[in-house]
Amino acid sequence: MAKTKLDEINRNIYDIKNKDEYDFKIKKGLTPEIIEEISKQKDDPQWMREFRLKALEVYNKLELPTWGPDLSELDMNEIATYVRPKTSLNSSWEDVPEDIKNTFDKLGIPEAEKESLAGVGAQYDSEVVYHSMKQELIKQGVIYTDMESALKKYPDLVKEHFMKCVPVYDHKFVALHGAVWSGGSFVYVPKGVKVDIPLQSYFRLNSPESGQFEHTLIIVDEGASLHFIEGCSAPKYNKVNLHAGCVELYVKDNAYLRYSTIENWSKNMLNLNTKKAIVGKNAKMDWVSGSFGSKISMLYPMSILNGEGAKTEYTGISFAGKGQNLDNGFKVVHNAKNTSSVVNAKSISKNGGKCTYRSLVRINENAASSKSSVSCESLMLDDISVSDTIPVNDIRTDEVEFSHEAKIGKISDKTIFYLMSRGLSEEDAKAMIVRGFAYPISKELPVEYAVEMNNLINLELEGAIG
Amino acid sequence: MEKLKLNETPVRTSRNYNINNITLENIKIPENIESFENVEIKGESSKIKIDSKVNNCDLVYGLLDTLTNQVKEHANQKLMVSIDSKTNQEVQIGFTFDNKNSQLIDHIQVESRENTKATVIIKYEAKEGVEAFHNGMIKIHAKKGSEINVILLNLMNLSSNHFMSIENELEEDANLKYTIIDFGGKNSISNYYANLKGNSCQNTLNTIYLGKENQVFDLNYIGELRGEKSNINIEVEGALRDTAKKHFKGTIDFKKGCKKASGNENENCMLLSDTAKSLALPMLLCSEEEVEGNHSSSAGKVGDKELFYIMSRGFEKKEAMKLMVRAKFNKIIENIKNEELKNKVIEEIDKRLD
Amino acid sequence: MSNKLLEIKDLYVNAEDKEILKGINLSINKGEIHVIMGPNGSGKTTTANAILNNPIYTKQKGSIEFEGQDITNLKTDEIARNGIFMSFQLPEEIPGVSVTNFLKYAKNKVTGKPVKIFEFKNELKKYMEELNMNPKNMERSLNVGFSGGEKKKNEILQMLVLNPKLAILDETDSGLDVDAIKTVSKGIEMFKNKKNAVLIITHNTKILHSLKVDYVHVLVDGKIVKTGSQELAKEIEENGYAKYKQ
Repeated sequence: MAKTKLDEINRNIYDIKNKDEYDFKIKKGLTPEIIEEISKQKDDPQWMREFRLKALEVYNKLELPTWGPDLSELDMNEIATYVRPKTSLNSSWEDVPEDIKNTFDKLGIPEAEKESLAGVGAQYDSEVVYHSMKQELIKQGVIYTDMESALKKYPDLVKEHFMKCVPVYDHKFVALHGAVWSGGSFVYVPKGVKVDIPLQSYFRLNSPESGQFEHTLIIVDEGASLHFIEGCSAPKYNKVNLHAGCVELYVKDNAYLRYSTIENWSKNMLNLNTKKAIVGKNAKMDWVSGSFGSKISMLYPMSILNGEGAKTEYTGISFAGKGQNLDNGFKVVHNAKNTSSVVNAKSISKNGGKCTYRSLVRINENAASSKSSVSCESLMLDDISVSDTIPVNDIRTDEVEFSHEAKIGKISDKTIFYLMSRGLSEEDAKAMIVRGFAYPISKELPVEYAVEMNNLINLELEGAIG
Repeated sequence: MEKLKLNETPVRTSRNYNINNITLENIKIPENIESFENVEIKGESSKIKIDSKVNNCDLVYGLLDTLTNQVKEHANQKLMVSIDSKTNQEVQIGFTFDNKNSQLIDHIQVESRENTKATVIIKYEAKEGVEAFHNGMIKIHAKKGSEINVILLNLMNLSSNHFMSIENELEEDANLKYTIIDFGGKNSISNYYANLKGNSCQNTLNTIYLGKENQVFDLNYIGELRGEKSNINIEVEGALRDTAKKHFKGTIDFKKGCKKASGNENENCMLLSDTAKSLALPMLLCSEEEVEGNHSSSAGKVGDKELFYIMSRGFEKKEAMKLMVRAKFNKIIENIKNEELKNKVIEEIDKRLD
Repeated sequence: MSNKLLEIKDLYVNAEDKEILKGINLSINKGEIHVIMGPNGSGKTTTANAILNNPIYTKQKGSIEFEGQDITNLKTDEIARNGIFMSFQLPEEIPGVSVTNFLKYAKNKVTGKPVKIFEFKNELKKYMEELNMNPKNMERSLNVGFSGGEKKKNEILQMLVLNPKLAILDETDSGLDVDAIKTVSKGIEMFKNKKNAVLIITHNTKILHSLKVDYVHVLVDGKIVKTGSQELAKEIEENGYAKYKQ
């Protein structure tokens, strides 16, 4: 069967570059002086300034990972870690500067806000430029704001939780994050409050040779529920950009949190992001994750099931094309009785791209009667791509039900023939099979994101669908 | 006494997961190797010859350079098995450790000629009370169209150290069946590597392990598929009781060019106590499109329902457990056609589960 | 205008270097129902696949024309868009693609026109009722977890929806119980008109009990050894293929 021609996609809207205009851009590199300057620019409280300097020390002590993708091209001396856009935080799109607003318009953010979201945050480079939430949620006591405002308005709540779930010594890029973090969202959902409509934060990096280090801190209090969506993109530049965000989620007893991400960074981005959730008694944490962009991605969201009866589900897909190395996966630690985890991971490799599924399932001694089931499926679209599955299963007690399954393979010629006999071209047939393959993930996404994901798949499989 | 870090996986993952290699404390690698005389060879014939003319002890992986070099330089048993039988013939090599023969550094090489058939049984057994040290290397070269069936038994006692490096090279249409009975050793550390370079060659690896007390098993199995339509099947069944611990690292690596190759890996661990530990890393690596790879892994205790059912037929719990473990292992034990040996294995299971 | 739909001339086809078809000649006109019968391994499935130009079968010699156009080497989807449909012996499973979406998309491709959702759904519903199909299957992934009978009915459903000029049914009746065979026959009756044709490929004769056919061809060892009327099928039912084998 003839090979489908699959070139690098035209990422159109995602690739719109604005002029590199800013209010302030820190000089490149990473020194205590630079950290002090960021802290000054951000008007940090004293404890945060000290925290940043401490994190820098940890950063300097930790080694790069000895496994996974090669990060040698990352030179922190070439990265500006703080870029303040030429606007302050706004609560009306009218007040956001024209070119920045246009970018978010094209990404469909204000539109989605009107139609299907309860609140929106939009970050441009290092600072949040827009934040707004529906009145009724404000009345119910829900807090949704940028991290900087949270640090000033709710200092105790922030201090109690900030980098406690993800401590700075977790790995080198978390330490880096601790030193230079800026922007991000803070959410607090009070006890018993159910937020039925999702909140969404969108992160856009425009400035070349820079990094984005947003911090997302979400606390869903007892019995409350929330669906939070995160989107990210950037135009492509020749030199590497870095994203080392940090997401800390506290899902208290009987609470529910769904965290959905569509990551579409440009293909010069190193996405070294860290996400972790601490899940309480009978609470549930669901992750939905689509990873399409980035040159290198190392992303392993983690659920720590600390409360009895806690549950977690991870549904994720990675799609690696030319020049991409997407090393993604999931980690779960069962730390209490009757906990359960379900993993459904898929990957697609084409045009020389590499996908790795890397994971950890740990069922600790104290987690009797726990269950975990993992399923991974990898699709190879040609013979120059790579797909690896590297799962660690660490079972430390006997009263468990643990199972893991993985499959790797290509689209069968028989299936393509079947679809072609119904009038579909080979490209159409492949695109249909790939979309079907991704369906278990896209169906978990809000409808406009599912549409975006299908569009991304179609873009990636050039020439598909009319 | 040394601290050894050995049996590296072909691809690393996070160090925090403690599976990239295994660290053993308080191991003494003996320097002045004594002789080892307790070797019994059965079934030698004009078609299967055994001499000491081994000629290749280079390893692609191996457990650790120190151990590989020890075999290279200080092997106290060298056995070259040359196969020229057109119909299946069986040869047995048995090593028995006792107080006078407590250190074995053996190098076994098996070479088959084209289109030959043979069964090779290799057994390591240690008498109770002996603190034995075993460092062994088995290298097999299966030539075109040959069928080799290997049964490897580790029946060491629980005060010994058992290190095993296995490497296989498979030519076109070769069929290598490996059955490993991995029961003994305070530490049983093994590295198995198969290079499936010939088209349509096939490798089956079936292992059962059984751990008790504070036994540690570290199994590092690697299959690299290079030949078109080559196929590997790895099936591992194990049971752990007391505070026994097992690390299973299984890698099926589809190298570029292995069109239409397939690989399956299936690992199940029965946990017979709440302090036994199972750590597994079943990897699939793939750089070729037209392949089929599957792996599955599971862990858990013996099902209460099944146990209840068996006990309702008058078995006491311990007996019922034994029955369940044997039932799980049965499929693999059936690979052993030699009845005497098969009974020996079943006996060992019962003994070790008592 | 010519009445001729399909014309196979002296067709030789190999599967994985093995010669399967050794000179097939077959001509099908509008309004006709043809049956190709033959023992296992005689080349029946190969014939169907060769018409749709399945790339795993290679044509050594001969030609296939459809409505006067040479389709021997067209791509499968082009052949399908020209109006030939094949019901598969073992339909493929497509996870994540619902029956409705699939058919909507295929219909769009085959007709080259946008599909009107409302009409389309009604049409689908009507056919499913006629074929005793569970309407819930419409939203299920195509063929995934379908029973053998459900898969076959789904093939007939696709035939009705896509409405080809020539429908080739490869062993659609095999493995089905009497009721299911009746449903399949009913589907064929619904489909059949003066302008289209049906080619049934089968190794047994059960489906011919509830269906009237025009021609029966006996395929043995890659060649059509005899052509006759429905009577021929009866004869084979009684005596088997022995007398046609060398």
